[in-house]
Amino acid sequence: MSDDTPDRKRVSVPEEIELPRLLDFYELQTDDHTRIHEFYENLRDGQLTTTRCQDCEEIHYPPRIVCPECMGDNLAYVDLPHEGELFAFSEVRGGLPIGLAEHDVPYVVAVVDLGPVRLSARVDGAAYDDLEIGDPVELNIVEIDGPTEEERVFYRFEPVNENGGDSE
Amino acid sequence: MVRNVAIVGGGHSDWGERAATWKDLAQEGGKAAFDAVPEVGPEDIEGLFVGAVQPERFANQTHVAPLVAELLGIEVTEMIARTELACASGQAALRYAWLAIAAGQLDVALVLGVEKMNLGRKYMPEMQASMANVLDREFDGANGLAAPPFFAWYAQRHMHEYGTTREQLSQVAAKNKTNASKTDFAQFQSSCAIEDVEESPEIAAPLHLFDCSGITDGAAGAILMSEEKAREVTDTPAFITGSGQSSMAGNSINNLPSLSTWPQARKASQNAYEQAGIEDPLADIDVAEVHDCFSISEIIEYEELGFAERGEGGQFIEDGRSHIDGDVAVNPRGGLLGCGHPLGATGISQALEITHQFQGTVSSDRQVDDPTTGLIHNLSGSASVHSVMVLDRDPQ
Ligand SMILES: [Zn+2]
Repeated sequence: MSDDTPDRKRVSVPEEIELPRLLDFYELQTDDHTRIHEFYENLRDGQLTTTRCQDCEEIHYPPRIVCPECMGDNLAYVDLPHEGELFAFSEVRGGLPIGLAEHDVPYVVAVVDLGPVRLSARVDGAAYDDLEIGDPVELNIVEIDGPTEEERVFYRFEPVNENGGDSE
Repeated sequence: MVRNVAIVGGGHSDWGERAATWKDLAQEGGKAAFDAVPEVGPEDIEGLFVGAVQPERFANQTHVAPLVAELLGIEVTEMIARTELACASGQAALRYAWLAIAAGQLDVALVLGVEKMNLGRKYMPEMQASMANVLDREFDGANGLAAPPFFAWYAQRHMHEYGTTREQLSQVAAKNKTNASKTDFAQFQSSCAIEDVEESPEIAAPLHLFDCSGITDGAAGAILMSEEKAREVTDTPAFITGSGQSSMAGNSINNLPSLSTWPQARKASQNAYEQAGIEDPLADIDVAEVHDCFSISEIIEYEELGFAERGEGGQFIEDGRSHIDGDVAVNPRGGLLGCGHPLGATGISQALEITHQFQGTVSSDRQVDDPTTGLIHNLSGSASVHSVMVLDRDPQ
């Protein structure tokens, strides 16, 4: 560079960009954000639920506002069991998305068979090598910290304690 | 179809971790396509179809089809579109171009697939977040689910239900990565042994790093023409003789029909085979480029595409029947495991491999012996959509 480089005007961009709302994986869960807020309200009250069509009786997961079988919109929340079996599982060792990158690895993510439905879920308190297809697991509701002020919850599972007691 | 449609040629950018922007890659892929078919220039293109999955997230750019037109000097006169169908976006773009030409709306199309995925190590969680959003983010992505654990479930269930072995998974990865060492644009450039797969780090048990396709920057462009125009350009066009797609009202984990089979792939291939007049795919198809995003995928695809009975995909690779000199050469290019998987470009690259196999222009050590019929297959998302296209040296 020569000494006679002309003075340049400086422009700037923000050094830090906060986690954009859309990169935060958890939905805002209240009735002014989602029409399935009842699912989240039930979960906050300790009950895993989903919707069942009042017209054709079909049960769906995730919960819906329109029945994909009959196009009816007369849906009611029904309780799901809180215990199920591991249908499939893996252990994630890295490559976490932004918004989950602060979580500890490794972690187990599984398909849990609850009977009426199968769903994906984190399985806490166990390593891949400790688990087998068919192992019993039970619901574990967690609170989500940040990045918004809203209270939020989500569901996970954990292995059922072998002596049948609470897994405290 | 109303009119016969053929791929006349095309080309690739280099694939891998590139010091290049999305726009750079699009230009490289476009230039490679026109260089491969000197009889056709930008002024001849009537329709432009761009396969691109996440330019909004990987490159902060939307409305990309007209941007590609500008970069390549194409004045589109008939039809322009960008396709997004996750990992099958490139095949979706081919399918739209095929339909538009077959329907008589245009004669000459450029189909360009491009993806910029490597953002620098520090920013890779952004890429991972974008990939997780391919699932039902509210109920599956939020559980920390991404592609490796999802396909790990399929590997675990396939092993559980059918006795598929860890070694059979490794055989798929070793075959494809070794094939890729003979492909000049591929991301993975060295031969690979079974032990290399099992000694690579475990990413999502039971899958190891070498069971997984790469994170890849790359582009591929193909030129499609009506039969009449194609005959003016080349003596060896690759005719599209069948194309099928299937999705069975399942995207979230709970609603997928199975975690060890893909009936969607079976349905899509049956539709494509019927159009193409194929009764016995194992006997009739000489070369196939299938969606080996993970090693287990290819094993399930042998079964669903009709090369092996259900549950016998593992034995199929173990017996060497999918090698270049086997009953059907599967992924002689090196597949996604070897070439990498720049999402929007993958389907187009697969179709170019079949075209070049017909034309006898691939490296001699991966050339299949006089192939006449080929197939490409892509799955997308939570394997909820499957797309199959049959290519043939004759228009049928
Ligand atoms: Zn209903």
